[in-house]
Amino acid sequence: MFFLALKNILFYKGRSITTFALTFFSTFSFIVYVAMMDGSHNSILHNALKVYVGAIEIYEKGYREIGGNEYLLYNVHKKEEILKNIEGVSSFTSRYETYGLLSSDEYSSAAMVVGINPTKEVQHSQLKNALILGEYLDGSANNCLYVGSDLAKRLHVKLDSKVSFIGSASDNSFAADIFKVCGMFKTGAYEFDSSSAFIDRGYFDTLMLSEDMASYIHVNVTDLSDVDLIQQKIQAALDDPKLEVLTWKTLMASMVEAMKVDSIFGYISISLFFVVIFFVIMIFSFINASSRLREFGTLRAIGLSSANINVLLFYEIFILSTLAIILAAPLGAYVAYYFNANPIIIEGMSETYKEYGIVSDELPLSFDLFTIAWNVGIVYLLNFLSILYPMRFINRFKPLEALKHV
Amino acid sequence: MYKIILKLAFKNAFLRLARTILVIVMIAVSMSMMLSIQGLYDGMTFSMADKIKRSDCGDISLYSKNYRITRAIKDDISDATAIQKELLKNGDVDAVVLRLKAEGLSSTARKSAFSVIVGIDLNEEEKFGQFSRFLKQGEIRLGKRDVLLGSELAKKLKVKIGSKVIFSTQDSTGEINGISLRVRGIVETNNILLDKSALFVDKTRLQKFLGVSKEEATQIAIRTNSQTLLKQLQARYPHLDVKSFLELYPIIQQMQDLMFIFNSLSFLIVMLVVFIGIMGVMYVSILDRIREFGIMRSIGMGYSLIRSQIFLEAFFVGFVGYIIGAFLGFFALKYLQNYGLDLSEFADGLASFGYSSTLYATIKFSYFSSTFIAIMAASFLSVLLPLRKIKNMNTIEVTKANI
Repeated sequence: MFFLALKNILFYKGRSITTFALTFFSTFSFIVYVAMMDGSHNSILHNALKVYVGAIEIYEKGYREIGGNEYLLYNVHKKEEILKNIEGVSSFTSRYETYGLLSSDEYSSAAMVVGINPTKEVQHSQLKNALILGEYLDGSANNCLYVGSDLAKRLHVKLDSKVSFIGSASDNSFAADIFKVCGMFKTGAYEFDSSSAFIDRGYFDTLMLSEDMASYIHVNVTDLSDVDLIQQKIQAALDDPKLEVLTWKTLMASMVEAMKVDSIFGYISISLFFVVIFFVIMIFSFINASSRLREFGTLRAIGLSSANINVLLFYEIFILSTLAIILAAPLGAYVAYYFNANPIIIEGMSETYKEYGIVSDELPLSFDLFTIAWNVGIVYLLNFLSILYPMRFINRFKPLEALKHV
Repeated sequence: MYKIILKLAFKNAFLRLARTILVIVMIAVSMSMMLSIQGLYDGMTFSMADKIKRSDCGDISLYSKNYRITRAIKDDISDATAIQKELLKNGDVDAVVLRLKAEGLSSTARKSAFSVIVGIDLNEEEKFGQFSRFLKQGEIRLGKRDVLLGSELAKKLKVKIGSKVIFSTQDSTGEINGISLRVRGIVETNNILLDKSALFVDKTRLQKFLGVSKEEATQIAIRTNSQTLLKQLQARYPHLDVKSFLELYPIIQQMQDLMFIFNSLSFLIVMLVVFIGIMGVMYVSILDRIREFGIMRSIGMGYSLIRSQIFLEAFFVGFVGYIIGAFLGFFALKYLQNYGLDLSEFADGLASFGYSSTLYATIKFSYFSSTFIAIMAASFLSVLLPLRKIKNMNTIEVTKANI
C-alpha cells in the first residue's frame, strides 16, 4: 500500500507539487513566525529581569498590596543566613526602597531612591553595566548618588552636582539630606531611568534608620526554569507565614499577561493562513480523489476494503507532508537557531517602543525544539484533517458505481 | 449567442457541485476571517489614536518652545487664554482646551509614585474629547479638593474613591509645595502615560497652587478636521512649538504603517493561496471538459466565445464566494464593532499596550472593494493557464481523446 501511495504521488504531479509546496511554506513560516514571536517575548522578559526585577523576591506580606513602613522586612541578616543554605539560590541581596523628592538648584522631581549593597548588586542587576557617566557606587558608605540618565535630565544635574532629598525614614520621621551625583546610568527602560536613583546602603541606613531592615530581598537562582521549586524551598526554609516569596511570574504579571495577549493575536493572524492553506490542500486532495474514482473502484473490485483506500490516501498525504516537513522543519529550525545566536538588529526600536518595555534593539528568535515539534505536529494534523472529506466522498460510492463514474 | 454562453457558464460553474462548493467555502471563510482580522486590528489602532487625541494632544497641540524638553512651569505659554480665544474664532477649529501640567510626587500614607498633575476645565474637556467617557469608577466632578486619578496610578497607590492623596511639586517660584486631594473618580484613557501618572484637577485650582496666572497654560490642544490648519498655525505662532498628533506620537504612525504592511502582506498571501485553489479547480474542470470544448470549436464556435464562457465560470465561482464572504465578514465586523471582543481576562496586559479590555473593529468600504478586486483578479488569472491549453489544442485529437 505504501509503494502504491508512492507511485500515485509521482503520477499525480500537480497535486503532489501543490501539497508539498503549501506544506513546506506553512511549516517553514509557522516555525519562523512562532520563533520570532516567542523570541521577542523572551527578550522583553529577560531584559526586564536583568535590569532590576529578581527571579525571586521576598517580602513581608502587605508590603506590595498596602505598603508603608509597617511592612518592611526585619532581621534581614538572619534571613540571609537561611538563604545561604538553600540549594538553587545562587546569590541574594537586600534593597531598601523609598520614594522622595529630589531637587537640584532649580528643578525637582519625584524619584525612587534605593539603598543597595553595590558589590552584591552587580550580580543582581544591570546597574553597573548601565553606567554612562562618572562611576558606579564604590562600596564606601558615602553620599554618592547613582542617578538614572533621564532623571538627571529632569533635574538638570551633572556629575558632582548637589541634590537634596526629602522623604520619610523607616520610623515615619522626616528624612532629608544632600547627596552628590557620582554616576549616571541608562538601562534603556525609560520609566526606570527617569525615576530611579541608587545610594550605598551603609550611608542610606543611617539616614533612614533602616539597619537590618529592607523593603525586600532579591534572590538569584542558578536555573530560571527551577524558579517555582526554589520558591517553595525558600518559603519552607523561612517558615514564616508573614512572609511572601514571589517569583518573576507574579512580580511581572502584567508584562507576562501582555506577552500572552500578543501571542493570542499572533496565533489569530497565522490561523488565517492555515485556514486558507488547509482548504487548498483539501481542494487539491478532493480533485485528485474525485478524478481517481474509477481507479478506486477497480481497487475495491479486486478486493481492497474502504479502509484500505483510506490507508492509501493517508499514506499519500503522510508521505507528501513528511517530505515537505523534513525539508522545511530543519530549515526553519536553522533560521531560528541562527537568529537566536545572532539576533536581528532593528536600529532605534528600543527608543521608539521604550514605553512598551523594549530596552534593546536586538530581536532574537527563540530556538526551542519542543516548540518546533508542536508546530510540525499542527501542520501534520491539518494535512490529515484535509483528506477526511475526500475520504468520505470516495467511500460514498460502491465499487461498481465508482467503476462506471465519468 | 451571449445568452447561451452565459447559461452554459452558469451551469458549468456548478456542474461539479461539491468541488465548486469547496472553492466557494474557501473564498468565503478566508475572506471573512481576513476582513474580521483587518477590521479588528485597524480598530485597535484607531481606538488608541482616538483616545490619545481626546485625552491629550488633539489633532494639533501648541507648547512653548522649550516646554517639551524642560517640562518646567516657567516654560509655559503666558498668553494661552488670548490664543485660545483667537483659535476659537478660526472656522477650521472644532474645539480647543488649555491644560496646565506639572511633574511631582503623589503619596498616600503608605505608597508614593512619580506623577503628573494636569489642570483641566471639565466643560472644555467634555466638548473636546468627551472626557466623561473615560470614567471607570466614581464620578466626574472636580471640586476644590477633588482629583481624578489615572487607573494605573490608582492601582499603584492602592487608592479607592474617597482616599486622600498628597501631591508635591515645585511651584513657579521654585519652592516645593504640597496639595492634599481626595479621589473623586478613577479614569482610564488608554493613553499609557496618562493612566500611569496623571492626576486631573481643576485648572483654576492648579494655577493658584502653582502660582501662575489664569492666562497661563502649558499646552493648547486643538481638534480639527482641516489639513491646512497646522501650517496656518505654524506661520501664525512662530514663537510656539506647533505640532501635529503624529509628530507628538510618532509611535501611532509607526503602528499604522506596520498594520498597513501586515494587512497588505496577509492580503497578498491569502489571495495568492486562494488563486492557487481556484486555479486548481478551474484547471481540472476544463480538462474534464476538454472534449466538450473540442466539439464546440469543431462546430464553429470561436475561441473568444469559449474564453468568455470560462471567464464567466470563474466569475460566478469567485463572485458567489465573494458575496458569501462579504456577508459573513460584514456580520462579523458589525458584531465586533457593536459588541467588541471582550478580553477582560487580559485587561492588565492590554492596558500595558494602551488598549482597552474590549476591542472594537472598524468597518471601511475599502475592505470590501479591495477584496472584490483581488478575488475577481484571482478568479480571472486562475483561468489563463487552462485557456492556453484550449487555445493550443488540436480540436480533432481532443474530440477523439478518451478522457
